[in-house]
Amino acid sequence: MDKLVRTHLPRIAGLALASASFLAVTAAEAKEITIWCWDPNFNVAIMKEAGARYTKAHPDVTFNVVDFAKTDVEQKLQTGLASGTADALPNIVLIEDYGAQKYLQSFPGAFAPLSGTVDHSGFAPYKVELMTLEGQVYGMPFDSGVTGLYYRKDYLEQAGFKPDDMQNITWDRFIEIGQQVEAKTGKKMMGLDPNDAGIVRIMMQSAGQWYFDKEGKPNITGNPALKAALETVGKIMSANIYKPANGWSDWVGTFTSGDVASVVTGVWITGTVKAQPDQAGKWGVAPIPALSIEGATHASNLGGSSWYVLESSEEKAEAIDFLNEIYGKDIDFYQTILQERGAVGSLLAARGGAAYEAADRFFGGQKVWQNFSDWLAKVPAVNYGIFTNEADLAVTAQLPALTQGTPVDEVLKAIDAEISGQIQ
Amino acid sequence: MVLARRGGIGRYYDVNGWLFVAPALGLIALFMVYPILWSLWMSFQSGRGMMMKFAGFANIVRLWNDPVFIKALTNTMTYFVVQVPIMILLALVLASLLNNPRLVGRGLFRTAIFLPCVTSLVAYSVLFKGMFAPDGIVNSTLQAIGLIASPIPWLTHPFWAKTLVIIAITWRWTGYNMIFYLAAMQNIDRSIYEVARIDGVPAWARFTHITIPLLKPVILFTTVISTIGTLQLFDEVYNLTEGKGGPSNATLTLSLYIYNLTFRFMPNFGYAATVSYVIVVLVALLAVLQFYLARERDR
Amino acid sequence: MKNPARAASAVLTYGFVGLMAFLSVFPFIWMVLGATNSSIDIIKGRLAPGETLAVNVAKFFTQVNVPLVFWNSAKIAILATLLTLAVSSLAGYGFEMFRSRRRDGLYRAMLLTLMIPFAALMIPLFIMMGKAGLINTHIAVVLPTIGSAFIVFYFRQSTKAFPSELRDAAKVDGLKEWQIFLYIYVPVMRSTYAAAFIIVFMTAWNNYLWPLIVLQSNETKTITLVISSLASAYYPDYGVVMVGTILATLPTLAVFFFMQRQFVQGMLGSVK
Repeated sequence: MDKLVRTHLPRIAGLALASASFLAVTAAEAKEITIWCWDPNFNVAIMKEAGARYTKAHPDVTFNVVDFAKTDVEQKLQTGLASGTADALPNIVLIEDYGAQKYLQSFPGAFAPLSGTVDHSGFAPYKVELMTLEGQVYGMPFDSGVTGLYYRKDYLEQAGFKPDDMQNITWDRFIEIGQQVEAKTGKKMMGLDPNDAGIVRIMMQSAGQWYFDKEGKPNITGNPALKAALETVGKIMSANIYKPANGWSDWVGTFTSGDVASVVTGVWITGTVKAQPDQAGKWGVAPIPALSIEGATHASNLGGSSWYVLESSEEKAEAIDFLNEIYGKDIDFYQTILQERGAVGSLLAARGGAAYEAADRFFGGQKVWQNFSDWLAKVPAVNYGIFTNEADLAVTAQLPALTQGTPVDEVLKAIDAEISGQIQ
Repeated sequence: MVLARRGGIGRYYDVNGWLFVAPALGLIALFMVYPILWSLWMSFQSGRGMMMKFAGFANIVRLWNDPVFIKALTNTMTYFVVQVPIMILLALVLASLLNNPRLVGRGLFRTAIFLPCVTSLVAYSVLFKGMFAPDGIVNSTLQAIGLIASPIPWLTHPFWAKTLVIIAITWRWTGYNMIFYLAAMQNIDRSIYEVARIDGVPAWARFTHITIPLLKPVILFTTVISTIGTLQLFDEVYNLTEGKGGPSNATLTLSLYIYNLTFRFMPNFGYAATVSYVIVVLVALLAVLQFYLARERDR
Repeated sequence: MKNPARAASAVLTYGFVGLMAFLSVFPFIWMVLGATNSSIDIIKGRLAPGETLAVNVAKFFTQVNVPLVFWNSAKIAILATLLTLAVSSLAGYGFEMFRSRRRDGLYRAMLLTLMIPFAALMIPLFIMMGKAGLINTHIAVVLPTIGSAFIVFYFRQSTKAFPSELRDAAKVDGLKEWQIFLYIYVPVMRSTYAAAFIIVFMTAWNNYLWPLIVLQSNETKTITLVISSLASAYYPDYGVVMVGTILATLPTLAVFFFMQRQFVQGMLGSVK
């Protein structure tokens, strides 16, 4: 039996599975493009709109947009790539920008280069840079996570601040304002999830730095932007102008329930902010506060993702053509997804469209989209590298030490030590 | 047990035996043993994604120098040491209380306490995250009855986060273990208790001197199963902390770390396989230890 | 003297058991209340019936192809349960009734597989399924779950209580081994099967990680996968998620309530 198992097991396994596969249903149509993405109200809906547009011009091509949770998409993609079986993968997949290089570098040859077809010069440069490897550009830049400072005009007015007072401020000023807002209205200035390093990433990128330098080496202890960002988070915590949140939904709850006076995050949150009709007219948007260091700007990015075509997919040519036709050229498409979903694409030419010029009544007639697209062009390009998830967890792990008053330099050293252990 | 090795009856007996067990053994060999050997082979390799190279014992060396692994190991052992005894004891006490035939409504109580383990992982995580939010129902209730002055930072403080994970596992699995004990208690002759009661043996002594010794095989069985479950703990932590094991890796478990190494980080399947073998070795050691302890007390 | 003491102990017992029962059931109450509230109220922790039940249900049914995902979940869970029960009870019976040193050795080796964390099997299993062309099929979800060392163990333990006189008598009557198993063992062990049914069905219905990895398209997804994707939107609607969790919990609850009596009896057999 032992010997039998050792010598024949692989073959028996193959046979058993092969015979079972006859029973399996294979529903592969000639020109169906399968796409994996997350969020039924955002990416999925947008991709369905894009597909419908393409099918109108090319009736032979249909789309199957599959909706999974974001972590689920990542995990299925990674398993599929690791297994080396092409039929386990879709034709197009959505990848968050932070993870792009990780996939490109650890699964070489898995993604189709788009440089030959798509004119990438028309997109926001930071989006193109993060999907470039060895001179080839691999993705179709999609939504931007350009950041903004959303604030409750009513609360700030009660505290004696006008919209002009919120323009181009520093984080130190932001904290001062926050203290006065709390004194006058009893509301906290912002929601903060101590298990999420998003705010640190926003601050760091706004000063043109990242966890890694251009060569992809860890850039922690000698990183002035990261240091300033951690110091700022420490100040926010010790000034106690934040409402602690316990995970994503709780954090969303801090502002949808009207408990906080501002939100600093990516533009994709706009739909969520606007989902509270009773708060119409009460919100304003300003550029994010800047760090008080050299190279600091008021523009940054949080999240955002892009579309990638799998090299091994049978419908590769159609998939690339589809992305190029719609996401690469269709200005009207970008107006629609902006109006309907609040998605700010990274195609710079789309900024000229009517939807971007429109005043938004929810924001008291402010031309918020125009603002965001202006800021989009200013987002500093950084190298997200291949270990952003590891670095992010290391930073998150050290955030509580920051609250307990550990000196920032020691915190940086601890982060550096954890990252060095992780990136082998 | 002593059988004729040759001859018709022995052969017939043996062939039948093999036929009955073959489907299960075949499936387990194909879908458990073969993949785990494959994993063993992977644990001697290292690299990014599909670019793996033979690395010898490099992964094992890496374990010792990996603070996150050490943290995950410590956390996992903490859960095991704290949670398994609490849950087993709670399940035993509940079972012996519910075993009392004079207890009105015991069927109802039994069903209610068993209920948590039928929920799906997804449903249960949504519920717990909401209930234990900073201003969620649990904190507001505790404040209302004056047990605490300010909200407990359930998922943002290392100690409380671990506590919450322990509460969550205990909530889900106590009833499951209780059913095993209740079933076993049906076998205990009630007259033993009557005699003990008449002799003036107090309730807690009846529990420690009659119930526990008589239930020892079942307790051993549930302890081993719970040990396996706790050392492979993943679902609860993954869902309560949005997959991060935070704060400060305070709730990170070995299985969650394997998951991160495989799916969240730059994929290093070799190192992930090595960490998974740490779990296999730990469970094996603890199971042997538990069987050994149980046997010693028999004498 | 005696009566107050007894009364106090009764109060204590009912108090403790009652509290435990309440704590166990409370999340379910919260879930049902949640389904009647709007997303905002749920995040705020509102603990009263709301008015948005109809809206939540309607939204859930428009966002999700409910009959399809239920059919997928049911198909997987029932298939997995029946096959696991068949294969495991055969093995449990075989190991106990036909004792041999080699099989006992293999049995112990089989129990060792209980220690293997699923995370370690995932990648190899997925590659195997890929090579067999089974990705995105329900067969791939079911296959690796059928051979369960735990359920084999459970059946072997229970078989110890199976009266061997029955088997001897059947043999005298000239029944073949498979006939004894099918016509005598299976009916006699009804409650053992019921208990195993509940455990396996629960596990299969609630299974998340493996179906998630293997199933690729909207047409094959299970209810658990759908809820997880609803709950992780940028802006999840928790009222809708609650409706989904209730619907996803109902089948396991129903199975448990219908088979409760046999369940306890079945567990009884396994721990003798």
